[in-house]
Amino acid sequence: MSAEGVVAQRSPSVVLEVRGLVKAYPGVTALDGVDLEVRQNEVLGLAGENGAGKSTLLKTLVGLVRPDAGEIYVRGQRVRLRNVVDAANHGIGMVFQEQSLVPNLTAAENIVLGCEGPAIRRGVYRWATMRALAQEQLDKIGSTIDPLARTDSLTFAERQMVEIAKVLRIEQRTHNSPVIILDEPTSVLEPSEIETLFEQVRRLREFASVIFVSHRLDEVLDVCDRVYVLRGGQSVGEVRPADAVAGDLHRMMIGSESHEDHYHGSAVTRDETPRERLTVRGLAGAAFRDVDLDVHAGEIVAVVGVHGSGREELCKALFGAVATTAGEVTLDGERLDLTGPRAACAAGVGYVPAERKVEGMVGPMSVADNMTLAKQRVGCAGPVIVPKRQNDIVDKWISRLSIRTPGRRTAIQRLSGGNQQKVILARWLVGGDVRLLLLDHPTRGLDVGARSEVYRLMRELAGTGVATLLLADSLEEAIGMADRVVVMSDGRIVAEVPCPPDRKPSPLDLVKEMV
Amino acid sequence: MSAPVTIRPSSDAAVVKGGPTRSESLTSLMPVLALVSLVIALAAAKPGFLSQPSMTAVVDAAAPLAVLAAGATIAVLCGGIDLSIAALASLSSVLLAMWLPTLGGLASVAVVGVAAAAGALQGAAHVFLRIPSFIVTLGGMSLFSSIALVISGAAPVPVIDDGPIRWGFTRIFDVVPSAAVVAVVVVAVLALLIKATPLGSWITATGYSEPAARLAGIPVDPLKIGAFCVSGACAGLAGVLLVARTFSGGPTMADSLLLPAVAAIVVGGTAITGGHGGLWRTLVGALVVTLLRVGLSVVGVSAAYESILYGALIVAAVALTLDRSKVMVVK
Repeated sequence: MSAEGVVAQRSPSVVLEVRGLVKAYPGVTALDGVDLEVRQNEVLGLAGENGAGKSTLLKTLVGLVRPDAGEIYVRGQRVRLRNVVDAANHGIGMVFQEQSLVPNLTAAENIVLGCEGPAIRRGVYRWATMRALAQEQLDKIGSTIDPLARTDSLTFAERQMVEIAKVLRIEQRTHNSPVIILDEPTSVLEPSEIETLFEQVRRLREFASVIFVSHRLDEVLDVCDRVYVLRGGQSVGEVRPADAVAGDLHRMMIGSESHEDHYHGSAVTRDETPRERLTVRGLAGAAFRDVDLDVHAGEIVAVVGVHGSGREELCKALFGAVATTAGEVTLDGERLDLTGPRAACAAGVGYVPAERKVEGMVGPMSVADNMTLAKQRVGCAGPVIVPKRQNDIVDKWISRLSIRTPGRRTAIQRLSGGNQQKVILARWLVGGDVRLLLLDHPTRGLDVGARSEVYRLMRELAGTGVATLLLADSLEEAIGMADRVVVMSDGRIVAEVPCPPDRKPSPLDLVKEMV
Repeated sequence: MSAPVTIRPSSDAAVVKGGPTRSESLTSLMPVLALVSLVIALAAAKPGFLSQPSMTAVVDAAAPLAVLAAGATIAVLCGGIDLSIAALASLSSVLLAMWLPTLGGLASVAVVGVAAAAGALQGAAHVFLRIPSFIVTLGGMSLFSSIALVISGAAPVPVIDDGPIRWGFTRIFDVVPSAAVVAVVVVAVLALLIKATPLGSWITATGYSEPAARLAGIPVDPLKIGAFCVSGACAGLAGVLLVARTFSGGPTMADSLLLPAVAAIVVGGTAITGGHGGLWRTLVGALVVTLLRVGLSVVGVSAAYESILYGALIVAAVALTLDRSKVMVVK
């Protein structure tokens, strides 16, 4: 950074500027002198691995985190942001990753909530005005959502649009064009919805500046005008998408050569004769029906489908966590009891849930406790725990999976996402009896390095004969990892596409079946 | 499934520091520090306080409270709360006084059994009807109180022959109150059960994050029913101890112990939100609460003010122990 702040500040096109931002948490420096510049009417991308400081930086910009040092300038004027309202007054708004809408209110109420203005007179809601205000916001982004629809009746993608419409209300507070922050907006969207979102982002650029954060580098390159790369709490460089490919970004993010991509085909060698492990016949539940499915020992089968295809429910149902109404499931020829997770665990089925922080790990508990949670017999003599035996087993898996933790007694919430996920995976391995692994978005929210470790681990496990059912984060991941891809639509399996290492289908082949 | 799985070293984010932070370890030591400073303060205010008879009296007074609170601690650790304990202890005292003449020594066992069943029933209602434990046990509290009043005719039931329950109120070697021994044994047995078996991490996981516990295959429902069953049994035992020292059962005898019991749990440092805490902490909490009560009389404050103390104590202890940075919304 040769240009000193003074020059940049006076440039009229710079709407938001950050200088030397520092934020330290106990044991971790999240931001270590970040510099950043957002210009008028541009889409600025932020890329970086988990722990690079992206979230902290964004939270600082909307006043949710107070920096230890450094300055924030809005249009050349130094500002102190104490909370979200402060940030909104300066024209900065954020579309939160975990949506911030109240589910039992209408879209219109949500849009004006907290910034009602003329929608309230003498303390009383004026519904017609509110509806008009909301409609105005929705029109701005060209959305056709009914402002009187209850928020919980909308799809995730629609709620995101409502959220964007809501954020744009900050225009009312400032006479300048706003800065809209989109934090991981695509992580739970399906491909077609992502395209709609991108159109929306390009539309926003017409009258606002956008900060766009995503784990998927191709998206960042696709939609952004400039990309800042963060590493270890510092901005390590700026990239123009025109002259960069995803590999360049990877290299900058991790500071070394790009990781081996997952898309290199299966390296698993297995028995000549495939052995039936999981067979599903005519399984039906609230969200799926007539499901027939086979997974062989050592095979990885990916299930793909849009939202509402029923694949998440199917995955949970096979673990007994969602009720089924009909059908027969066998594991190695024996009937699989689907009455609850406990029965599934006992039968050697492991499940890695999509919501790692809520359903996967118990944050304040130690790595050891989280690892042995499902297989409590491990390291026990009868009902009594033998600490030494249990510790040895835990330590063994910590080192086998290279889990980076100060020790087995460290609370799992202090680990990085990738290491947390490895502990959750280890939970099913410590018993030594896992036959079927159900992986529900196992790489969600993980950075590139951690993701490729999870891929490698999946392959190793398949190599030992574990059957794997994978709900992948992206089609590329599904194709890259799976031996076979099963396409679900409207609760049924509509296609089955073989995926051998030498003849991988293209994502387009699958999309055709999905819609 | 025994082939080694080898993974290349991680490029993941930097390793974080392990172990509890300084403020965490300080918070966990706080109950003991409070206990020690209370003893010192009382000894300074009243020189005779450290004498054996007065110490014996304090420990004896703390015992029923400790038993009552120990059981409820398990329910709290699971993420619930049991507000019915005091009413159930009162009902137990009435039942014991009524059954002693006919059942003799078995009466205590029967009372503890009935109380355990009552607790389990509440647990089952909580789990199967999906009603918050707070509501179920609030209803239970009212129910048990009423039953106690009805069957006792709203009057104390005197115990003529206290032989079968004298074990609950004697002095071992003329010094150690037997009730205190009972309390320590109850706490030790429960603590050992939790420490030495997987039950401990089951309870902790359920208290911190029930969805995660369920998906790890933990039998969450039986576990919670069991927790309320233990809570009920402890309430029954506390009732027995109270009868042993008053030679009567009373329909409202233990009612005033609810607030001190909850105070003992939170003062001990068990998180009211579940997951974090322990039984020994509750024992310390019960001693702190008892000492504070003794302290009030030492400095000459009327007993009428006691509830102010408990109320303030509960709020203050939760304020100090609850890690509000992790709780997004406080309801």
